[in-house]
Amino acid sequence: MLRARPASPHRRTGRAVFLFAALALSACKGSETAGGGSSDIGGTIVFSTPSDAQTMLPPLIVNVIDRTVTDLLYDRLADISDDMNTTGDKTFKPQLAERWDWSADSLSIAFHINPRAKWHDGQPVRAADVRYSVQLYKDPALGTSATPLIANIDSASVRDSLTAVVHFKRHTPTQFYDMVYQVLILPQHVLASTPVSQMKTADIGRKGIGSGRFRLAKWEPGQRIELVADTANYRGRPKLDRVIWSIAPDFNAAVTRFMSGEADVFDQLRPEQIARLAGDTARRIVRYPTFQYTYLWFNEANPAALGQPHPLLGDRAVRRALTMAVDRRAMLRNVFDTLGQMLYGPFPNTVDVADSTLAQIPYDTVKARALLDSAGWIPGTDGVRSKNGRRLEFAITTPNSSAARKQYVVLLQEAFKLVGAAVRIDEGDFATFSAKQNDHKFDAIMALYATDPDVSGFKQTWSTAGMAKDGANFGDYSNPKVDALLDSATTTFDPSRKKDYARRAFEMIIQDAAGIWLYAPPTIAGVHKRIRTAPMRADGYWAHLADWYIPAGERSARDRIGLRPTQ
Amino acid sequence: MRRYLAGRLLQAVSVILLVTTLTFVLVHLAPGDPFGEAFGRPNVPASVRAQWRADFGLDKPLPVQYVRWLANAARGELGFSFSHRRPVRAVLAEALPRTALLAGLSLLASFSLGIVVGVLQAERLGGARDRWLGRVLLFTYSLPDFWLALVVLILFAYRIPIFPVGGIVDPVLYDYLSPGARIADRLRHLVLPVVTLTLLSTAAIARYQRNALLEVLPSDWMRSAIAKGLDWRTAVRRHALRNALLPTITLAGLYLATLAAGAVFVEKVFSWPGMGLVTVNAIAARDYPLITAAVLVMSVLVVLGALLADVAASVADPRVRVG
Repeated sequence: MLRARPASPHRRTGRAVFLFAALALSACKGSETAGGGSSDIGGTIVFSTPSDAQTMLPPLIVNVIDRTVTDLLYDRLADISDDMNTTGDKTFKPQLAERWDWSADSLSIAFHINPRAKWHDGQPVRAADVRYSVQLYKDPALGTSATPLIANIDSASVRDSLTAVVHFKRHTPTQFYDMVYQVLILPQHVLASTPVSQMKTADIGRKGIGSGRFRLAKWEPGQRIELVADTANYRGRPKLDRVIWSIAPDFNAAVTRFMSGEADVFDQLRPEQIARLAGDTARRIVRYPTFQYTYLWFNEANPAALGQPHPLLGDRAVRRALTMAVDRRAMLRNVFDTLGQMLYGPFPNTVDVADSTLAQIPYDTVKARALLDSAGWIPGTDGVRSKNGRRLEFAITTPNSSAARKQYVVLLQEAFKLVGAAVRIDEGDFATFSAKQNDHKFDAIMALYATDPDVSGFKQTWSTAGMAKDGANFGDYSNPKVDALLDSATTTFDPSRKKDYARRAFEMIIQDAAGIWLYAPPTIAGVHKRIRTAPMRADGYWAHLADWYIPAGERSARDRIGLRPTQ
Repeated sequence: MRRYLAGRLLQAVSVILLVTTLTFVLVHLAPGDPFGEAFGRPNVPASVRAQWRADFGLDKPLPVQYVRWLANAARGELGFSFSHRRPVRAVLAEALPRTALLAGLSLLASFSLGIVVGVLQAERLGGARDRWLGRVLLFTYSLPDFWLALVVLILFAYRIPIFPVGGIVDPVLYDYLSPGARIADRLRHLVLPVVTLTLLSTAAIARYQRNALLEVLPSDWMRSAIAKGLDWRTAVRRHALRNALLPTITLAGLYLATLAAGAVFVEKVFSWPGMGLVTVNAIAARDYPLITAAVLVMSVLVVLGALLADVAASVADPRVRVG
């Protein structure tokens, strides 16, 4: 029997609604919500997500959902502030460590563990756990992706059961950040019995026993991940009773799950879906900051003979001319309407060293043509320029999974054509795209990265040292002045000087036209209106999820299940 | 009979070996590898990626990897899934029954419906019923599966929300429901994917059944049956249908493979974590052990299906004898 669409997406038709109501009423009796003393305590939030987690072991995470869940399950010694300042320790907030002391030479920090902190299995958190965590992260047999980010951490020792001392190789502006941000504290008593070399395949990676304000209740692969409030947590219980990630492996199905009301939050809305939410009375859109940024990255090395300059894009004049051919603002509008954000250089606008006043290479097709003329690139009969018998033709590599990047490549192809450059679109699945990127086997690539908050991330991407096998400078950009400036930016203790060094390095990268800075992807979530969100951080909008809440008067039946155990 | 079965078995093993070997080689030759893109950020050192490859034996020459895989597979060890971080056997043990349930129900529904529609058409050959049913079948047959799945999803889960959007059970409520309500919840989640798959496959089956009936209807024994006083409808249903079931039974055997292969798009759209979805995601993630194992299971089912179809045909038609 068909029924009219309900006014609220949380109402359901059919027999289940009666079960639902009966269940909710009975649940209210046993719910901690009733005795919580606060009207903000209680409720369930369902996230719709197109991907499942792979592991609950923080050093071995590989995707965003891994990171989201592990960030909520585990604690750090201290937490970064919302302004993402990575220098020193002044702005960091205590988490597992209630306080810390620096040694006289600043090469070690003693962290004093909160004596009330407990693992989700009831065992107390101890200094030995900190020592074990550092050992595990540093163990080459584990192979954590955080390896380059914790290189300055030497070791950790135990002074007493509640004091762990972390030792560093050098005194740097970000040594505190390196430790507390990159290393999540893990339970030694749970993990130590598993050999490090077997961690990747051991079942222990699915247990998720941490000390965070949420605990893992259930993980059904491919279906859902359920976290519940750790009601006895030393930092206080979260306001929500329960958070569920409902996994819909198809993007459209994940959106529909949100739009139909089966899920409360979907964090990857696209412009066309945002338009559909305009008149929606049950849902709203929430824009959150991100460290992601997208640019066209030119390969300055010859992909066929690495170490040799690229025959076309190794020429600074060609790269500058191509940059001048691109009307970035018009493209942004074309692809994202009013939702996109311009980039002003090789950085997302959310990092503390971002600067929107840097001098840009202007959009000027006349100058672009003149520059190519003067560089000896002569237009042929088909409009494509050539020089010494070589056509000005190259490929742009892009993954077929990204609609925005695919649109951009077509627009770039057209823009380059107008100044006499031919572009072949090299589109493939993400694994193929990544292989070409990692092997430097491309002419130009549609790069989308999420950087780390600290300026050291840029050093890996833009320094000459980053061109090495272990580096991330896939475009083989090299400028000794930039190297020196990035070195200075990562070693100064003065935040204003750090910003100045970084600004000067970025300006040089821009003027060298190492890439065309296109956009920061619009990161927009759809959220049910009954949910009150907390401030969102660029490194993860979920950072304050424990403070999200649903006012008592606006709760739906499923919010009132409480923490009743399952049948 | 024994020689026939031994021959078929040898043939089956050869086919399975060939298919899995080809799969193994092709997936390894495809660009990219499981740990090339897995970390999703540029600053993961190549040495870390190399270490992960070594940990999972991907640094060995391909022939060595193949021999190792073959030896393990012979012992029932299908390896470790990189993308699920679980043994492949555990991943398939979850996915296979889900797909079998979904595909089994839809096959049952589509064969029942297809045979009925085929008979209804054959009873009124060239008539209005035959023509209209033919048009409807042609229409449903020409629908792309992902499109139909999305339309059904949007229509009955979003516009008229009488069924859940997808998944196997309600992600919030299921654990709190009574046993009876849990069964009802599971059935509700089955409706849309089963209906979609049934709509997609009924047309072909009905067409087969109608054509098979067309071949037997002019037979002498049908004329005799009518001459003896049976009405046309009874003659078709009692006598012609049994004789015309042979091609449909063969088709059923071939369809058996879908019990393992799954329906990729339908599983994807309805978030049904079955074999199709698992396999496609494994391909995207370059999860070599999972891809190869999934293909192994599918090829076993294809071969088994063909064998069963032969046996079933011999049972249905005494003129057909295996061996």
